[in-house]
Amino acid sequence: MEIRPFQTLTLRARRFYVGAMFQVMGRALQAMTEVDGEACRETRQLPPGFLFEMRVLPSGPVMVVEHTKDGRLRFLGTDAPRPINLSIQFKHMVHAFRVVSFQEKTAIAFANERMLVDGDIAYAVRMTRVLNRLETFILPRFLAVRAVKQYPRSLGFVEKTAGAARIYLRVLRNLIGNERPYE
Amino acid sequence: MSSRFFEFFCPVKVIAGKAALEHLPWEMQGLSVKRPMIVTDKGIHQAGLLEPVLAACREGGVQIAAIFDDVPPDSSTSVVREIATLYRDKHCDAIIALGGGSAIDTGKAANILVSMGGDDLEQYSGAGILKHPLRPFFVIPTTAGTGSEVTSVAVISDEQRGVKLPFTSSFLLPDAAIIDPRMTLTLPPHITAATAMDALTHATEAFIGLAKNPLSDAYATAAIQKIGQWLLPVMNDPKNEEGRLELALASTMAGIAFSNSMVGLVHALGHATGAKCHLPHGVCMSLYLPYALEYNLEYIREPLGELLLHLEGPERYTQTPPEQRAESCIAAIRALRDQLHQRCGLPRTLEETGQVEFSQLEAIAQLALDDGAILFSPQEVSFEDAHALVRRAWS
Repeated sequence: MEIRPFQTLTLRARRFYVGAMFQVMGRALQAMTEVDGEACRETRQLPPGFLFEMRVLPSGPVMVVEHTKDGRLRFLGTDAPRPINLSIQFKHMVHAFRVVSFQEKTAIAFANERMLVDGDIAYAVRMTRVLNRLETFILPRFLAVRAVKQYPRSLGFVEKTAGAARIYLRVLRNLIGNERPYE
Repeated sequence: MSSRFFEFFCPVKVIAGKAALEHLPWEMQGLSVKRPMIVTDKGIHQAGLLEPVLAACREGGVQIAAIFDDVPPDSSTSVVREIATLYRDKHCDAIIALGGGSAIDTGKAANILVSMGGDDLEQYSGAGILKHPLRPFFVIPTTAGTGSEVTSVAVISDEQRGVKLPFTSSFLLPDAAIIDPRMTLTLPPHITAATAMDALTHATEAFIGLAKNPLSDAYATAAIQKIGQWLLPVMNDPKNEEGRLELALASTMAGIAFSNSMVGLVHALGHATGAKCHLPHGVCMSLYLPYALEYNLEYIREPLGELLLHLEGPERYTQTPPEQRAESCIAAIRALRDQLHQRCGLPRTLEETGQVEFSQLEAIAQLALDDGAILFSPQEVSFEDAHALVRRAWS
């Protein structure tokens, strides 16, 4: 059966969206550990040089992040310089799309076995908390409540807005190549 | 709480009831097994539980080729290697794990080595590493709590590196699980109580967790009903063979439920407490169950209310107003713990265990946050929440 162009376009668009979201998330993770003490406390427990990736199986988009030291994360793009320590893998592009388009919460995606964990589960739980915190910061509240299990009661409007602004500013500067603080 | 997507998998043949052991030779012959090896521990041997298995095999025309009866409570990679060496030396062709969680996990891990080859167990650690079926494997549980006979997981300590190696694969599941009431008839009261509370926790967390699904719900509720009906009668009359079988079945059903819908906060706290204070797993489950349910109450009110029917029966359920059923279910669990405390001293608080220091609570809460089970808790758990919960469980 011939594949209709519309289907191909949809698949490409989905792949592009997931890849773009991974790019933003990777940079935002780096930025968040520069501006948010709580996220930094979580990531400080990771060994220096620890490599974390999110990947879509079998050959979809990839996001690689390194813990440099003192809780700071650095976005490495799509390639890892050495073997990955912790990999969270979506079984299918559709599963990744549902999560990064906030149709399915990360916790529910784990419960529904959309994702696999390859590596130390304790670090995976920790990184899930960091990703959740990232989403509560960078997403508008109405979207964040769809992405995380519960929106944190302690995160007030001022802290969220200020944090989001600082994260987005750093992401923007990183995107245009002006800031690579750990290179 | 209903899930719009789920996976459910349990290919284990469950052979349960009177004279179930005597089905083992037939099952082995069906898989062309001629030289099985038994993996068990000294306690099982001393309790006389090995004899009925040997007799059943002998009379059924299967000669046991080797017995390893030195599995420690916290099994290690060196023990697994020792078993694999004996298996190869004696030219065995199947493993029968006889015992509780440790013997069963050890049997699973030994089956990896003898099937995949080599002596390096670590290379097979992780999820989905095993790519093809292993040698024939049979499990005869001698406790009624872990559900390990129907789970696709094994955990083995690497004593040299000081870490626990997890193994997850559907190929770890046994070809058959033999549930024979003779195997649990001599369990001491405190172990009967603790393991039953372990099974109750498996079923309850399976029924209220994020990964609950209609099929695991069916197993979970059936398990809870059996525990509610039979635990106290068995505590009163430990030789009650029918009750022993029902509790063993409840454990297996709860195992099927939680291996398809995961566990939650009680297990996260229990794993952390076990690691820090070396408390038995079942005791930890019993300690934390009501507190974790209270913590999650507003997120699980509906399914927890439904559990009242299965735990306490239709009369109590219909007499309780719908809005009070969830609280009544927690009260029923507390009452069950009180009864068990009266009968065998099963601790109800961390303080009553005598093995936990108040100063350890913070470390327990911190460790629980990194446990994989916490992902499936309906309510998000922060360090402050976990710390408050373990303090409530203190006394």
